[in-house]
Parts: sequence; structure tokens; C-alpha cells
Amino acid sequence: MKRVLLMLAILLLVCSVGVAEPVKLTLWHSMTQEAGQLMDAFVKEFNETLGREQGIEVEAVFQGKYSEAVTKLNSVLSSGQTDNLPDVMQLDATGKVSFASAEMAYPVDRALQEHPESDLSDLLAPALANWKMGGVQLGLPFATSTTVLYYNKSAFDALGLTVPGTLEGIASLAGSGLEKDGDGSRTVFACLPNTPTLANWLGQLGSNLVNRTNGTEGTASALECVDNGALLEFLKTWKALYESGVLENGEGSLDAFVAGKQLMMISSSSNVTSLLEKIGDSFELGVTFYPRVSEKAAEGATVNGSCLVIFDQGEARRNAAWTFVTWMTGPDVQATFARGTGYLPSNVKASDSSAWTELVSQYPQYEVGLRQVLQTPDTMHSVTVGPSIDFYYGIQNWVSDMLEQDLTPEEAAQGMAEDLGGMLEQYVRANPS
Amino acid sequence: MKNSNRLLRLLPDLVLVLMAAVVLFPVFYGLMGAFKTPQEFSSYPPTLFPESFRNLDNFRYVFDMTPMLRYYLNSLIVATLSSTVRMFLAVFAAYAFVFYRFPGHRFFFLLMLTTMMLPPDVLVIANYQTVSGMGLLDTYLGMCIVSFVGASQMFMLRQQFMTSPVALHDAAMLDGCGDFRFIFSVLLPTARPVLITLFLQSFLAQWNTYLWPLLVTNRNSMRTVQVGITMLTTIDATNYEVILAATFVTMLPTMVVYLILRKAVSHAMSSGALIS
Amino acid sequence: MEEEILGFTMFFCLLKKFQEVFLLIYYKSNGARQRHLPGQNSVKGILFLLPMLTFAVIFVFYPFGQALVQSVSVVNFRGEITGFAGLDHFRYLFGRKEFSSALRNTLLLCGVNVPVTVVLTLLLAWMCRQKSPFHSIMETAFALPMSVSMASISLVFKVLLNPTAGYLNYITGLDIRWLTDRRTAMYGILIITIWMGIAFNFLLFLSALRAIPGELAESAALEGASSLRIFMQIQLPLLSPTLLYVVCTNMIQALMTNGPILILTGGGPARSTTTMIYLMYSTGFSSSNYSLAACVSIIAFLMTLTFTLLLFTTEKGRVHYQ
Repeated sequence: MKRVLLMLAILLLVCSVGVAEPVKLTLWHSMTQEAGQLMDAFVKEFNETLGREQGIEVEAVFQGKYSEAVTKLNSVLSSGQTDNLPDVMQLDATGKVSFASAEMAYPVDRALQEHPESDLSDLLAPALANWKMGGVQLGLPFATSTTVLYYNKSAFDALGLTVPGTLEGIASLAGSGLEKDGDGSRTVFACLPNTPTLANWLGQLGSNLVNRTNGTEGTASALECVDNGALLEFLKTWKALYESGVLENGEGSLDAFVAGKQLMMISSSSNVTSLLEKIGDSFELGVTFYPRVSEKAAEGATVNGSCLVIFDQGEARRNAAWTFVTWMTGPDVQATFARGTGYLPSNVKASDSSAWTELVSQYPQYEVGLRQVLQTPDTMHSVTVGPSIDFYYGIQNWVSDMLEQDLTPEEAAQGMAEDLGGMLEQYVRANPS
Repeated sequence: MKNSNRLLRLLPDLVLVLMAAVVLFPVFYGLMGAFKTPQEFSSYPPTLFPESFRNLDNFRYVFDMTPMLRYYLNSLIVATLSSTVRMFLAVFAAYAFVFYRFPGHRFFFLLMLTTMMLPPDVLVIANYQTVSGMGLLDTYLGMCIVSFVGASQMFMLRQQFMTSPVALHDAAMLDGCGDFRFIFSVLLPTARPVLITLFLQSFLAQWNTYLWPLLVTNRNSMRTVQVGITMLTTIDATNYEVILAATFVTMLPTMVVYLILRKAVSHAMSSGALIS
Repeated sequence: MEEEILGFTMFFCLLKKFQEVFLLIYYKSNGARQRHLPGQNSVKGILFLLPMLTFAVIFVFYPFGQALVQSVSVVNFRGEITGFAGLDHFRYLFGRKEFSSALRNTLLLCGVNVPVTVVLTLLLAWMCRQKSPFHSIMETAFALPMSVSMASISLVFKVLLNPTAGYLNYITGLDIRWLTDRRTAMYGILIITIWMGIAFNFLLFLSALRAIPGELAESAALEGASSLRIFMQIQLPLLSPTLLYVVCTNMIQALMTNGPILILTGGGPARSTTTMIYLMYSTGFSSSNYSLAACVSIIAFLMTLTFTLLLFTTEKGRVHYQ
């Protein structure tokens, strides 16, 4: 017995000397369902291939929804116990500020200085640009999406109609017969503008929603779309759309759309997979570009999604983390991820891969988002504001009040300027940049 | 005459059955949904029953996607530990309030009640710092420690103890019966139904907590069932069939606990009535 | 503007009431029911209270103390204090449209939820008070919802109340956008919160009712008293300790409603379901504005405390501890 133990001990000793202890990394992510499983699968694959070669071992830990992960990040940062931070974290837009101001942040710019051989030119440019703040590249795009218009193609085809590309065009659908569903009725279009969708419409009109380039160059402190009239122009169009009777004032629901009780819906391009699955054979799903405010407005919508950022836990770990992050945004992972989830490939090479081209030839719906991202003018930026939830619902409340409480567009614009501006002022006071 | 009388007699029972149906309907509806396919959920008109009860895909999916059994164990440990400690603290505090007078007696009682009036979110960041400073991250104790204070339980026990005759306590003390013996062999046995109901309430509340366990644990192996549900929820939470299946999978143990304890409650109720 | 004034007046009225009641209770407590000579064994009493008090101090009062400080300070997004703000945050809050909506909605929710739940569960428990196999089944049925979590049942109701995918509109032939129409959203929330309160209250009332000796009611019945009279004069007084508890905790819970709103409506549409605690969550906590979160919770706290104290003034004289 003793001998066996002794031999075991020797064996262990030999093993531990023979194989160098791998660098252990922690990844915090917020991916659920199939995307969550893919995340685990990628990590496993990395550990077995490149990770084994270079002596890196990654552990993926689900940290709740993006907002919960950010709450956790803030808690750790304020506790000062930075060894509780992960090496790599998946962040959405609400986490930008927290990361940017963390002392342990290891932004991409620093990684590029230390790893001059790294080449980011294959990454989807608009997606990469989305994770820049105050001139610093915070992280690399991992799950990329944009906002598109989904419509019930079968219903439009039945009446010989094509889907309009502008809000004005949607208003002219009134009386076209689309709203009739047998003996009953159905909703043609339901939407309630919020931070990203309003920013898209304003961006098309050449205006930012908030100052400092929608909060990408510093903490936004006021609305920028009031004095230039862009907000008013949008609100007028929106009110006319409501008065035409085509628009239902509400967020609309995916269920109603899938059940054929609502014909158009604005939603994330990453929903395409679940929509195709849910709709099945009941009707043909149409996907088209985000609607323009009017004919003279530019085309496009900004990029959303999430990125991977690195926290500096010493040289060995941050180098390993950089290896891991570049691998995760590489063509193979991105192609598999896009195919499995409906997100856009964040790597250009991934969209040339056979996995992606086969998918697109079978379901052309997947391709619309990517085309839109590439056509969107680079002057359009997604919005970063401190009081994100408050701001989001603030917009919705004012638009609702305009439609249902009979405020004029001028009054609504004025009210938004004061109310939303007030929130930003409060935030800037607490978090001066 | 006789018939209408009998009908009148049955009326309360009928009302009860009707009310029970209304109360149970959402649970039933949810359970039915767990057997449906995504297509069934999105078809119009909506249905009550699934096409086939043999469709167990959603349940299989829940166990495939998450290490649910491990999460059960964690939730069980957390809920049991925190409810047990909570009940002890509440019993002692209620005992103090009912059988002893001390300076600030009334003030302390209200002070304890105020712990119910503070939204937990306001306390979360400061508590994270405390627990993290105590080195309790990634431990069961760290997940439980913030919920040891149960003012609601303390309050109900106080109400319960108040109904026991003062003379009983005085006599017991004169006979040389210690405080602990009085609590455990005289006071608590008569309060059994309430005690069990309160424990159950506390257990279920702990079973269902989400944000705090998520914040103070960093490892997959320490996660609880509620985190499991989130792992199965899409951002817009429209995959109802899966969420409902997950909900019932996480609810099942609590129902079992309930049914076991319910037997104890009804047993205790009859014996409690005899004593008083 | 009118709403703001209303909000202000109500707030100050509450503050004044709070002061009165506090003084009242302070003076009363000296003459309160005395089980022992004051001072006797007081050390022991404190010792029994100490464990709970210790945890309360560390994990509730200490963080709440921080919140008090935060409410008058400038606090950054990490929750670190960077300056002094005085009452600026309170002033800003009172000026927000959301604040008066939240105040109104919270009071409405509490005003409807508490009486409905209490009367309903009391009635159900009374009907089930006799032991029989049938009542045993009913008991299980009414108590079962206790094992369902708030988050789970909110999701079930979300499906059930969905205008197209849900069953309720379909089976009743109604066309109501339950949770997405500002006129009906609050009803949707009320249905859910009332449902969630049934099980626990029912069980407490039932065990209290069954603990009442049957002979009392029987002899009264023999003397020809009606059921209602027996209930009002014999059973209700004996139930009063439980009743005080149920009313009090239900009220506190109703005033603190947040969960279903967070999951189902996000305070909308158009602020129609914003409650105080949801306001704390949305404008404060999740928008990284911790001072504002602290301000709202302080106001909500004072409001809840006031109501609780008011309720406790009824304890003497009306609540009978045998």
C-alpha cells in the first residue's frame, strides 16, 4: 500500500514537472441558450487546440444578463478587490463606461503595442468602431447585430404590395387592406421609439441624439437633436404615421408578429434564427433595411451587440487573454457563431467562409443585416449614456404622451430636451469626465 | 324546499371549488405550456392543451443546457441554511419581545420591522463590499448571510407567542425551567403550524432569490436554480415553452417540500387545537 | 404642475403624521401591556434579541446608513462618494413627472391589493375551517401557489395576458392589451400581485381559525347566533393578532412592489405602472444613479413606516391576545 502511494507521489511529481502549469483565465459572459452552449464549446475547443499549444486554459462562467454582469463589475470595482475581476469579459454598451474607467482595463490599443504582429484589418469595421470610446478601442466585437425591419411577406404579396422603405411610405399603407384579417383586424405596424431606434432615425437625418458624438467621445451632457430640428422633424413624421392609423403605439410583440396578427416589426437582426424557427411554414418571413424617416434621409442603422474586453491581471495572463480574444473574433469562431445564433459575423473572413455563404443562399434573410451595416454612414454612432434605463423609458414616455395625450411635436421635443437633458446633467455632475 | 336547502348547503363548497380553479389555473396553464412546441405557442388561436403530452423536448432541453442537478443541490443548501438560521434568530427575538421588557423594547421591535421596508437593491453594493471583505465570496455562507434577518417571521412569531398565557412563562420560570427549555418544549410545540408555514415561506423565498447569489459567486459550480432559468431565457424572453419547462423543473422540489411539510402542518394544526 | 403640488402636499402631510404617531407611540409605550415589572430580566431580553440585531445592523442598517449619506452626496457610477449635494437630488426627484406617477400608483396598488387579498383569503380560510377530506384538497389548492416564485408566475401571466398568444383574451372574447395599454396595465399588475398573496395569508388565517376552540362557536350557535355574528364577535377578535400581521406585511409588500413590474411592464406604458421601488430601480440603481436610488428609497421607507405606525396605533384595544 505504502509503495503504491509512493509511486503515485513520484508519478505526480514527474507529471507536474513535465507539464508546465497552464495559464488559467476566467471569461465572464452573458450568452444564454444555444449561444451559451456555443460559448462553452468555443472555450473547450480553444483549450484543446491553441490553448494546449500555448499553455492556456480558459474557464467560461455565465454572469447573468449584460446589465447584471455590469452591476457585478461595478460592485467588484468599488470593493477594490480587483483579483475578483475576470481576465476576459463580454460587455454590451451599458458596460462601456465602467470598463473605460477601470484602472485594470487593458484596452486593445495597449495590446496592439505589445503585440505588433496582431492584425485587426479582418474585423468588420463598423463593428470594431462601435467599441471605441474617447478615442480608445476598448475591446473587440464578438456578438454583432443591427436593427432591421421584419415583415410578413406573404401578407404583402397577397395584396400585391411591396414593403415601403420609409416611415412616410408606411403611413401610406393606410386603407391598403393590410389591416383586414378575414373578418377581424390586425396590426400593420407597432413600434415605440427608444434610445437605439431613435438614434438611428436621427442619425439618418444627420444628427446625433446626444452630444459628444452620441457619447462616444466623452460623457454626454445634453441632447444634440433639438436645436438642429432633427428631433422635431422625426416627431412630426411619427405623429403623422400614428394619425394615419397604421401605427399601433406600443412596443409590439414578437408573438403577435409570429401569429400573423402584426405585419411589420423593428427588431434585432440576431432574431432571424428564432423567427424562422417559430414561423415555420405559416408565412414567408421578409427582412429589409431599417426604414428611413423620409426619402431624403440616409439609409442605415447602427451596430449593436457585445464585445470582449480584457482586464490586466499581470503580463502572463493578459498576453494569454489577448491570444484568446483574437481567437474568439477569428473567422472560424465567428462563422460558427453567426450560423448558430443569427448574429452577424464580426470577422470579414467569416462572411467569405462556406458555412456563411451556404446559410445565406438557403436563407437570404440572414444577409440583410450585414449589407445594412456596410452601407450605414460612418457618421452614425450608437448611443452611450450613463442613465441608460431611465433615458430609454424617458424617450418612450414622451413619444407615448405625444400620441396619446395630444402633445404637439413641439411640446414633446421641448419636454424631451428638458427631461432627458436633466438626466444627463445629473449624471455628468456625479461623473465628471 | 329540501332540495333548495341542500343546494344552499353546497353553495360554499361550490364557491370554493370555483375559486380553487381560478387560483390554480395559471399554474395549470403554465404546466401545459411546458409541453408545447414553439409553433404551438405562436399559432393563432391559442390553445390550452398541448398537442401531445409526450413532447418532453423542453424538459430534456433544460437538463441538456444546464447542470440543473448541481444547481438543485446548491439551492437546497442555501435555502435550508438561511431559513434555519433565520427561524432561530426570529424565534429568539420574538421571545425576547414577548416575555421580556427592556429599555427601548417597543423601539427595537419597530426597528426590526423596518428591515422589511428597505428595497434590497439599495443595500446590494454595500453588502457586496462587506461580504467580499469577509472573504465569503464563492461560499454558501456568503450567499446566505444577508438573509439571516427575517423580520416578517419574527413579527408573526411575536403575534403567536402573545397568545400564550403570561402565567405559563412565570410558572415555568419559578419551577426553574430555563429559557431554552421553555422555548423548545413549551412554546414552539404549540406554535407548530405557524412555525412550519413560516419556514416554508422563508425556504421558498430563498429558493427563488436570484441577483445576490449571482453577485457573490464566481464559479459555475456555485450557481443556483434561478440562474439556470436565466441561462435558458433569450433576451426578449419569448421562448415561453422552454422558460415554462425550466420553471416547472425548478418548482418541482419546492412542491415536494411543500407537500411533505403540509402533512406536518395539518397534523400540527389538529394537535395545536387540542392544546389550546 | 398640479400633480407635483399634490405630491408635495401628500409628502409633507405624511411627514407630519409620522411625527405625531411617533410621539403617540413613544408616550404610549410606557403604559403598554406589562407582562413583567420593567427592568426585571432586561439583560436576558436583550441577549435574546442580540443575534438578530447584530445581523440587521451589519447587513441592513449599515448599508442603509450609507444610502442616507449617498442621498445628500454626489455619488459616481461605482457608488463612490465624490462630493456633497445637499437636498439637490430630492429637489430633482420631486420635479420629475415619474415621481408623482409612482406615488399615485403605489398608493393605488396598496389601496386595492391589501383589502382585496385580506378579505378574500379570510373568507376562503373561513370556508375551509372545518376539517374534512374535501377541505384538505381545497387547502392544498389554495396553498400551492406559495411554491411558485414571483418570477415564474410573472412569466406565466405574461403569456396568459398576451393579447394574441395568450389564452385569457381568446377564451373571454375580450380584446384587451392587458399589460401594454396604459388604461389596463395596472389591472394586470393587480391581478398578479393579488394572486401571489393568496397562499401564505390563507394558510395563516386557516391555522389561526383552527386554533380557536370549537366549543365557543358551537355554544353560540346553540343560543341562536347567526354565523356572521359568531364570526364578528367570537372568531374575528381571536383572529386579530394574525389579522394585524397579515394586514401589516401585505401593506409593506404592496408598497414595495417591484418584481412583477420589472419583469412585465418596465413601469410602462407611459409611467402607468411605475411604483416607488421600480422608480428606485430604474432611475437609480440600474441607471447608476445611486443618490437618486437612495432618495427614492428613503421616501418610500418613510411612507411605509408611517403607514405601519398608523396601523400599530390600532393594536391597543382592538387586537386581542387572549
